[in-house]
Amino acid sequence: MSARNLGTELGSFLECFSCLLSHLAPPHPENAYLSWISKIQVNQPAVLRRAEQIQARRMVKKEWQAAWLLKAVTFIDLTTLSGDDTSSNVQRLCYKAKYPIREDLLKALNVHDKGLTTAAVCVYPARVCDAVKALKAAGSTIPVASVATGFPAGQTHLKTRLEEIRLAVEDGATEIDVVINRTLVLTGQWEALYDEIRQFRKACGEAHLKTILATGELGSLTNVYKASMIAMMAGSDFIKTSTGKETVNATFPVAIVMLRAIRDFFWKTGNKIGFKPAGGIRSAKDSLAWLSLIKEELGDEWLTPELFRIGASTLLSDIERQIYHHVTGRYAAYHDLPMS
Amino acid sequence: MVNMAWLDTQDRHLGHYVNGKWLKPEHRNSVPCRDPITGENLASCPQAQAEDVAAAVEAARTAWENWSGLPGASRAQYLTRLAKMIQKHQRLLWTLESLVTGRAVREVRDRDIPLAQQLLQWHAVQAYTQEETLAGWEPMGVIGLILSPTFSFLEMMWRICPALAVGCTVVVLVPPGSPTPLLLAQLAGELGSFPGILNVINGPASLGPILASQPGVQKVTFCGAVEEGRVLRRTLAGQGAELGLALGAESLLVLTEAADVDSAVEGVVDAAWSDRSAGGLRLLIQESVWDETMRRLQERMARLRGGRGLDGAVDMGARGAAAHDLAQRYVREAQSQGAQVFQAGDVPSVSPFFPPTLVSDLPPASPCTQAEVPWPVVVASPFRTAKEALAVANGTPRGGSASVWSERLGQALELGYGLRVGTVWINAHGLRHPEVPTGGCKESGSSWHGGPDGLYEYLRPSGTPARLPSLSENLNYDTFGLAVPLTLPSGPEIGPSPAAPYGLFIGGRFQAPGARSSRCIQDSKGNLQAYVAEGGAKDIRGAVEAAHQAAPGWVSQPPGARASLLWALASALERRESAFTSALERHGVELKTAKVEVELSARRLRAWGARAQAQGHLLQVAELRGPVLRLREPLGVLAIVCPDEWPLLAFASLLAAALAHGNAVVLVPSGVCPIPALEVCQDMATLLPAGLVNVVTGDRDHLTRCLALHQDVQALWYFGSAQGSQFVEWASAGNLKPVWVNRGRPRAWDQEAQGAGPELGLRAARTKALWLPMGD
Repeated sequence: MSARNLGTELGSFLECFSCLLSHLAPPHPENAYLSWISKIQVNQPAVLRRAEQIQARRMVKKEWQAAWLLKAVTFIDLTTLSGDDTSSNVQRLCYKAKYPIREDLLKALNVHDKGLTTAAVCVYPARVCDAVKALKAAGSTIPVASVATGFPAGQTHLKTRLEEIRLAVEDGATEIDVVINRTLVLTGQWEALYDEIRQFRKACGEAHLKTILATGELGSLTNVYKASMIAMMAGSDFIKTSTGKETVNATFPVAIVMLRAIRDFFWKTGNKIGFKPAGGIRSAKDSLAWLSLIKEELGDEWLTPELFRIGASTLLSDIERQIYHHVTGRYAAYHDLPMS
Repeated sequence: MVNMAWLDTQDRHLGHYVNGKWLKPEHRNSVPCRDPITGENLASCPQAQAEDVAAAVEAARTAWENWSGLPGASRAQYLTRLAKMIQKHQRLLWTLESLVTGRAVREVRDRDIPLAQQLLQWHAVQAYTQEETLAGWEPMGVIGLILSPTFSFLEMMWRICPALAVGCTVVVLVPPGSPTPLLLAQLAGELGSFPGILNVINGPASLGPILASQPGVQKVTFCGAVEEGRVLRRTLAGQGAELGLALGAESLLVLTEAADVDSAVEGVVDAAWSDRSAGGLRLLIQESVWDETMRRLQERMARLRGGRGLDGAVDMGARGAAAHDLAQRYVREAQSQGAQVFQAGDVPSVSPFFPPTLVSDLPPASPCTQAEVPWPVVVASPFRTAKEALAVANGTPRGGSASVWSERLGQALELGYGLRVGTVWINAHGLRHPEVPTGGCKESGSSWHGGPDGLYEYLRPSGTPARLPSLSENLNYDTFGLAVPLTLPSGPEIGPSPAAPYGLFIGGRFQAPGARSSRCIQDSKGNLQAYVAEGGAKDIRGAVEAAHQAAPGWVSQPPGARASLLWALASALERRESAFTSALERHGVELKTAKVEVELSARRLRAWGARAQAQGHLLQVAELRGPVLRLREPLGVLAIVCPDEWPLLAFASLLAAALAHGNAVVLVPSGVCPIPALEVCQDMATLLPAGLVNVVTGDRDHLTRCLALHQDVQALWYFGSAQGSQFVEWASAGNLKPVWVNRGRPRAWDQEAQGAGPELGLRAARTKALWLPMGD
């Protein structure tokens, strides 16, 4: 996979937004761009209400549910981000990524020959080598994603953050999940934020850039929208909700705002940017709600691993449990399913 | 299916539910209850006849004697038990409702059923505290409720809950083929203790007058289409029961350039395309965001799903063939007048399914712009400024609900306060809560449900006698008060020559009447006392115009300023006490009584001045973060026909209440003794803004006719003959103005309760609920 979003220059972006800005008649493009960013408003209570509705509006049951669950598996960035990660549990994770659902269950559903895997595995930079090796040993081409840039807080020097990206890419990570500098958002330094992400983009080279907004720490939905827009303009291939380490992680209201930003960016530039919710998505039911959210807000074309990922560690086992139930009609015991 | 099983318990043959049991009379025409989508016959419903209605009212009347006497705590307990009962059978309720109405089950299940339970619980609390908080009020009696086919069972819950809570009993007339109200009545009946408090009969709306004329029925509440309401208003003129109307279902959404457009688009979906409301939506979009909004709307519409209501994943169900045809006709007509029509969404293309429809570029003068927008149509039109938005929004006869979308607080509040509707949501649409009153103004009717206003609908001041019919069959509406009886010179003038004739007090000064004629006023001994002007239709027109000009200025006065003017008027009255006393004495009032009357009049002015200070309050709704403001807004131009008795006191009491609430007034003073009122005008000429109060003398029947038929008089209080009352009720159907009539019954104006009680305050203003959700 190669990077698709080369980013947008501020100037050309402005032209794209000219229809939006037409009533402002900007004398200085830079100022107009900033004033546009500062004008954006997101109404939080209204978004909350929409988020509440969307979860109940598209229920799928029975075989449709099973099909949606299998689809959800292909979106998972199977993740382990713990202090006690070693090569053995990373190896186990990689094996699980290659064989996410028990073979006999897939056979019963007649999808065993479809090559069902998760979308990627996601690890700390120091574990990238382990993951690459394990996946190679398993004969798989599943990409390895690495978090970077001082994950999860991002409170390190820009120089080391950039170096971190380069090293992870050297080790064989083809997708880099960077965290943004929340300080810049909270103090309103949007141009500085744009410049930083631009540099991340360069450091990634051919690797995919997923930008984590850490929405739980941005203060308001309006900031979430602005940060999403800046991240996309600066060249992110994906925007991602959270690190999983904040107190508030992937929530529906935040996702709705980010998805609207993605759609607006697509309308203005023609570039499709991916979306990755992460953190707190643990049940199969949750994952279905996320799929229906994407379908509702962006449409079917976004329901591919190129444009949609779910960052999760325990979600996969719950999906497997639901599939087990669908196939056998019984609820699985803990030992019925292989651990990851 | 659980709903079918329930229908089977009735052998697919429903009846009426009266007095705690099924009433299945023989030899009735039966109407099939059909699945609105497949047309499959689900059950049959008998059409009620007059004797069934009588039986239901009789049951309700018997039950009322016991029910109204119970302590509030017992009624509270009953309502709580009913809420539990609904909870137990909610699956049956929602599947049945969705099956027979065709609405999306999700909406019924996730909104209506929980709301129905909340309604019962909230009103249970009100019943519990009734003795304390509603002291001085008593339940009216038997309430008749008439539902039209397009309204859901929730509309019934909104009305029966307050009625039952305060101690009334109810007879509900539902259109045949709506089994959910019957099921609810059965659930209530199965609680056992109080059969007969809730009775449901099936029948066409044409049975309404029969229901209203049953002895004991004190109030009839109707919710349905505007034209049906108008007809009912005319038919029930002079009948015993009071009439409350809640009409129309159209809503309004104002989208400003400062809005979160995506969220506002969701607001449009909530309002028109989510089976939440029975009507369509008028959408006003600020020109600068028109293109952006249209693009987002059309994109969003494409993702809507329509289908069978019982499918859990549809946004919109179907409402039967009638609703489909109505929408079809509207859209065709709009198209023929040059409008752009956009339809999208994944909706079956056969009747009765109708796709989400967006109509734009409708020429402003086309008939469609004036007509009510039907479900599921949205009519979009642009506006330039907030001021223009207000002018356009207030330029329709409808006054139900509206939402304002703007992130600028100042702008949002300006629009919210300026819209002439019953409910305004800021940055939201369609929120409901039992604690928040819902109602309307203008042609949407003035009946309220929910909140304190909903309770007062079914209460009357303690000690008010029951309402009896005062119908005079031979009253000719076409000729009542049409011609002014001629006043010819009637013999020689005896005694000192009277002063120059009084003019009409219009626009802040005395004017000669348009007819250039006067009527003589005799004192108690039959001697000529004075000449007053003979006002006519032209003078009424001038007075109403003057009042309209003065109204905006008076509304914008802070309550404190209104209070001080009323106090100044009271002082002026006291200063000229002797003049007023002697004017009253000449009409045969004893000196002592006359003094009391003048003193009381001044006190009334002061009392209402003081009450002007405290109006409106804050409600805190559980699920909503942020407040709901319950505003009390003036009615506008209020016409008051004063009673003949207590010529000064009644005049002052009514005037004070009206002014304190910010209304501009046109008054017709006492017919036999108009002099004190005209004397007050001399003080008002110097104290009050010109045109705020206008006093027109003349033939009362004629002036009443002119006022009642005037489309731009926003409310009318009539204290006079029974015939006049009946005419006023009949004529009010024109612009559906709220009216208050005494049906020829004198009021004790010198008593605090009747002369200055809270009833006057309730009638002198209308409520508006302003929702202010918060969050960042």
